[in-house]
Amino acid sequence: MITKLNIDKEFKRKIAEISNQRISDCYQCGRCTAGCPFAMFMDSPPNQVIRLIQLGMREEVLKAQGPWFCAACLVCQTRCPKGVDIPRVMEAVRVIHLRAKECILDIPQIDYEYMLDLPPLALMSAFSKFSF
Amino acid sequence: MRLPYYPGCTLYTKAKPLNETIRSCFNIVGVELDELPHWYCCGTTFTLARDNRMSLIAPLRILTKAQQEGKQVLVPCSICYNTLKRANFIFSEDREALDIINEHLEEKYDGKEEVIHPLEFIRDNQDMIRNKLKKPLSGLKVGCYYGCLLLRPAEEMKFDDPESPSIFEDFVRLLGGEPVEFALKVECCGSYLVVNTPDAAVNASYKVIKNARENGADALVTTCPLCFYNLDALQTKIRQQYPDFKDMPIFYFSQLLALALGVDENGLQLGQNRVSPEIVLKKYGLL
Repeated sequence: MITKLNIDKEFKRKIAEISNQRISDCYQCGRCTAGCPFAMFMDSPPNQVIRLIQLGMREEVLKAQGPWFCAACLVCQTRCPKGVDIPRVMEAVRVIHLRAKECILDIPQIDYEYMLDLPPLALMSAFSKFSF
Repeated sequence: MRLPYYPGCTLYTKAKPLNETIRSCFNIVGVELDELPHWYCCGTTFTLARDNRMSLIAPLRILTKAQQEGKQVLVPCSICYNTLKRANFIFSEDREALDIINEHLEEKYDGKEEVIHPLEFIRDNQDMIRNKLKKPLSGLKVGCYYGCLLLRPAEEMKFDDPESPSIFEDFVRLLGGEPVEFALKVECCGSYLVVNTPDAAVNASYKVIKNARENGADALVTTCPLCFYNLDALQTKIRQQYPDFKDMPIFYFSQLLALALGVDENGLQLGQNRVSPEIVLKKYGLL
């Protein structure tokens, strides 16, 4: 629910600063979510995360799982009619968590055999997106 | 002809077949690859946070090494290619960022190095390959899987059309094979999500392979070691989750190139492909 109490204008400005995107440009056409290969895994798909940021609903955005299923494949960036680079916005949300030292990927918890089997660039990429 | 070469971490570990077949193919066509001395990690993945310049240091150090070796550097791994090219784009657009980082490093980068992918090199030097073809891939129906990072963001990568590319199909045609069109050739395979949410990668890779199969592909070909892992190694998990699934062999583009250039069976390094391509290749008399 939106009340005056849970609106954080500073949050929207912070996301805009990290992502260098004009979040207000989004008019919610939903093309990003329609093309997103991982939207089905997200509680809040890309267009909803953007909408929550537009409204300044910091808590809801930081609780959303959507950004953690973004593989930065950039399909949405290619298709956005307003030129919003959505993966940069998703990265900004991730970065806010990581800079607050909230780690999503618990590295010692990854199965050792599985880790040895994965190509190093998968691990490097996951470490850089999900840990600090 | 000599060309500076940046392999990246995975080409020395899990993607040895990609490294070794690239080397033997370029050797056959008369291009000597000079591996950069003392190279480091490219700093994958390219950071999307615009206020973070630290992550541009790794790519800048590699580009500095490369500029000492030649005007272009050849990068076969899609992820390294994307990271280096995007960083390079920033250095050419944002002089301030380049100056700030240069100030902290002993060796300076001039911002002029060109990062090229082997598929671009082959597109621009088709006769080199054509003259050396020994075993055209006649009849082999190949789905060209681009994935994400070669193509997007289009305005920075300038590789091909991001929604309907054709450079990979032209490559397969050059080798005498039959490229198969399929809609998901530019869709993500799940990328690094395989590390902590493997189900997302299993689902994405299943859809890609199924779509290629429905359009008549015998095999998929890719340039990226991570796409290769997701599409090839995850097939065991895909089979467990989707009983209707049928195996499909996955190739590195350089393995097909090596095959067409007449590299012997040992040199193709097919032993590391978990889904054996033997049946498909024998069907067309290629092995």
